[in-house]
Amino acid sequence: MNRGSKRWFKKFFSNFSAVLGFVLLLFFLGVALFAPYIAPPKPGRDAYMMPIVTWSSDPIPPSREHPFGVAGKRDIFYGVVWGTRTAFRIGIIVTISSTLIGLVIGSIAGYFGHLVDELLMRVTDIFMAVPFLVAALVLATILGAGLDKVIIALIVFSWMYPARLIRGNILQVKEEQFVMAAKALGVSDLVVILRHVLPNSIFPVLIQASMRMGSLVITAAALSFLGLGAPQGYADWGALLNYARNWMLGSQGQALQYWFMTVFPGLAMVLFVLAWNLVGDALRDIFDPRLRV
Amino acid sequence: MTQPQHENMLEVKDIKVYFYDDEGRELKAVDGVSFSVRRGETIALVGESGCGKSVTSMALLQLVDSRGKIVGGKVIFEGQDLLLLPEAKMRTVRGKDIAVIFQEPASALNPVYTIGEQIIEAIILHQKLSFRQAREVAREMLRLVGIPEPEKRLNEYPHELSGGMKQRAMIAMALSCRPKLLIADEPTTSLDVTIQAQILELIRELQKKLGMSVILITHDLGIVADMSQRVVVMYAGKVVEEADRTEIFKNPLHPYTIGLLRSIPRLDREQTKLETIPGVVPDPSSFPVGCRFRGRCLYESPTCCEVPPPTLVGNNHLVNCHHWQEVRQGKETARF
Amino acid sequence: MVFYILRRLLFLPLALFGVSLLVFTMIGFLSPYQRLATFINSPERLKSDNVDKLISFYGLDDPIFIQYFRWMKNVFQGNLGWSYVGKAPVLESILIRFPYTLELAIFSVIPIIFLGVSFGVLSALHHNKFLDHILRIFAVVGWSFPDFVFGLIVLMVFYSTLGWFPPGNLSIWAEEIVKSPAFRHITGMLTFDSLLNGRLDVFWDALRHLLGPVLTLTYVEFAFILRITRSSMLEVLRRDYVRTARAKGLEEKAVIHKHARRNALVPVATVSGQTIVGLLAGTVIVETIFNRTGIGSFMAIAAQQLDYASIMGGTLFFGLILILGNLCVDLSYAFIDPRVRLD
Repeated sequence: MNRGSKRWFKKFFSNFSAVLGFVLLLFFLGVALFAPYIAPPKPGRDAYMMPIVTWSSDPIPPSREHPFGVAGKRDIFYGVVWGTRTAFRIGIIVTISSTLIGLVIGSIAGYFGHLVDELLMRVTDIFMAVPFLVAALVLATILGAGLDKVIIALIVFSWMYPARLIRGNILQVKEEQFVMAAKALGVSDLVVILRHVLPNSIFPVLIQASMRMGSLVITAAALSFLGLGAPQGYADWGALLNYARNWMLGSQGQALQYWFMTVFPGLAMVLFVLAWNLVGDALRDIFDPRLRV
Repeated sequence: MTQPQHENMLEVKDIKVYFYDDEGRELKAVDGVSFSVRRGETIALVGESGCGKSVTSMALLQLVDSRGKIVGGKVIFEGQDLLLLPEAKMRTVRGKDIAVIFQEPASALNPVYTIGEQIIEAIILHQKLSFRQAREVAREMLRLVGIPEPEKRLNEYPHELSGGMKQRAMIAMALSCRPKLLIADEPTTSLDVTIQAQILELIRELQKKLGMSVILITHDLGIVADMSQRVVVMYAGKVVEEADRTEIFKNPLHPYTIGLLRSIPRLDREQTKLETIPGVVPDPSSFPVGCRFRGRCLYESPTCCEVPPPTLVGNNHLVNCHHWQEVRQGKETARF
Repeated sequence: MVFYILRRLLFLPLALFGVSLLVFTMIGFLSPYQRLATFINSPERLKSDNVDKLISFYGLDDPIFIQYFRWMKNVFQGNLGWSYVGKAPVLESILIRFPYTLELAIFSVIPIIFLGVSFGVLSALHHNKFLDHILRIFAVVGWSFPDFVFGLIVLMVFYSTLGWFPPGNLSIWAEEIVKSPAFRHITGMLTFDSLLNGRLDVFWDALRHLLGPVLTLTYVEFAFILRITRSSMLEVLRRDYVRTARAKGLEEKAVIHKHARRNALVPVATVSGQTIVGLLAGTVIVETIFNRTGIGSFMAIAAQQLDYASIMGGTLFFGLILILGNLCVDLSYAFIDPRVRLD
């Protein structure tokens, strides 16, 4: 195992895009961790609420005081920095919860097989029958606005992917010789799954999760962009971009002077998603080139 | 008979194909292989899988896959060195003068085109025929290789044919332009035993009918005994022994050839157990220096660290071993 | 084959039943007051003393399965409630908007597949060489671009600065022509209708309005096709039949474009179908940004204004499209790959 993992590391770090993704992730992680130092919140206030810095709703271009400019009366730099935390929080909570749910449901389907499997798989089909963004949008709307509702909606509509992966692995492993041999010796299915299947599925599940992270964060931001996610003034990249929208549409000829409203939060989003995609891609290439998510 | 009968149609001289892995290491998959093929003759390239026999045959057509490179040698076909031909010229040799049939007919035929489309494509490519004429030829070829209802089969996709029929279709495609040399790369390995015999019989029959030469690549010495006039035994990218068929079976001189022969089950002799060669074929990245059979050989001595010189030991019998004389003596003493 | 289609069609109601259950469960999260809103088409009826009476009138306090059957009965009669956003019945509001979304999807899918496949093949042929790296970077960046970020950039550059691709469906003058009684509406799609009416000027105007969203969707989505084409092509190029084609003496061009590409396209066809279906759904953001009419923007506005009837109807409609779309994809698969027999 040790020599093996050393080789994986070597392979991972000899790949330029993997390193780029990794460095970007580290950078964002640093920004999220040190947000209170990079953009100190006003004492006594909720740090995730972007403070209002001006009374006019006109955007203000970048200056020394507001390095990324001001949009919707709020400092973009502050929003981008604290938005990193929001992005990580949504991504990690949703990924962990949906993976755990998927793990349980996929294991049950694969372990019992037959009718239970058929039933659970039809249920996953139904959950996948509505486009992800639309489904999340509807559920978030019904639950009422707020970031926690967005998180719930995203979990409800993303557990199917790990569930299918786990189920597939279990069904596949069930057919393999060593499992047949173990079963012939009287080892129970459950032990086989716990001992052989789940440990072997960890990497595929992790890779799939890292590749899904990007689309999760995009969808959450899309909801905020539509005004359905984070509440007014909450530090969130999608919400920041929402401010930009009206200025892009409304003012022909001068929109370019408001570039900073789109570029800074947009860049943060693109780089964040890019980082996850690069890392996910590289992991997939190394561990299992045939795994398509 | 006359001169051309004994003329060498193909002479492969000291060909080298090296592969390069991800870490840039050089893998000498084929390292200085030489042999020749006479007109109308069948020669067998024999060896375990991974010994470089397929790579050698693909190198004749310059179809080594992209990680491999032909780094040296000559492939003289009908008097000209194919390795010196420009790619466009080489294409007129492939399929027309030298054709190939592969091991797995199931994967060697393109699944999305019909049998007819694939045969006709080859015919039109090399002969000035209209589509209608080419189709006629294709149908004739299918009949020649013994496929029933050729007209119907032309319009079928590969997956609609059985394994044996697929291989017959493959042969029809290969022979449709009347090649002078046929490379048959393990043509029966993936088929049932009964069908194997039929396919081999078919190849032999067509060879006589069309007067072509055949390079038969196989690991099955049973097939060799049936089919070929000469045998080239390869091990780890090198030729270890080359001789006429009867000579190889009666008087093998390389320890590896002997091992191979002993590992075929025989019905005419009582055997307590089947013998196997100890050890495994080394990986191309760790071929031993000197004689590559070192480490698995019963006759090994310190001299084996040097490359064994090719020695002509009899009529057309070539062996690459430092100890061939001991081998011969050993066998003689064993006989007493 | 016929059997397969029949079986899939038989499963269709079952799948729709599942989606309807899902939608209804979500409705269950609403309070009776909120659900009442889906039945009411004028605010006057909502006088406070009236509300409880109305709730029992519509049976919103009945057991849940009775409510489900009643709702399903309505759905079957095409009655999805009153759309506050569309100011019309929900079904009608959706059907009016669907051609716009379909039009956008049709215009986007052409460049997506064309660029995705050609760059994917190119990338595979230059495997691990300079061009491959460039194309892959280009693709992974596009893949990582949220559609609303790229859409905003397109607006900023191509509309606000260059003035090329305006937002909306049509310019005001063209809108007037389209609304005039002389203009016949056949497909409901502006570009096709204007061509059928012989109005090239309107066609050009409609096309100009389409280009911004099309450009956005193309860049964001083509990367997916590129990746699939590339990996599938790389795999196919290693196959034995490609070697056979070379051994026949075919030119490399013919080997690649005739023998390899056709096989490589089999998985691409599957994901292309998914892309088309996904495009229909993915228009939520793009239609909103570019101020276009369509079911995507309809859903977004309905969600913003808490128009539950429209949201539920829209979800059901999206479910229907997705299920039908996937069915078409599976069927077309059988035509591309002769090995698939579907039984």
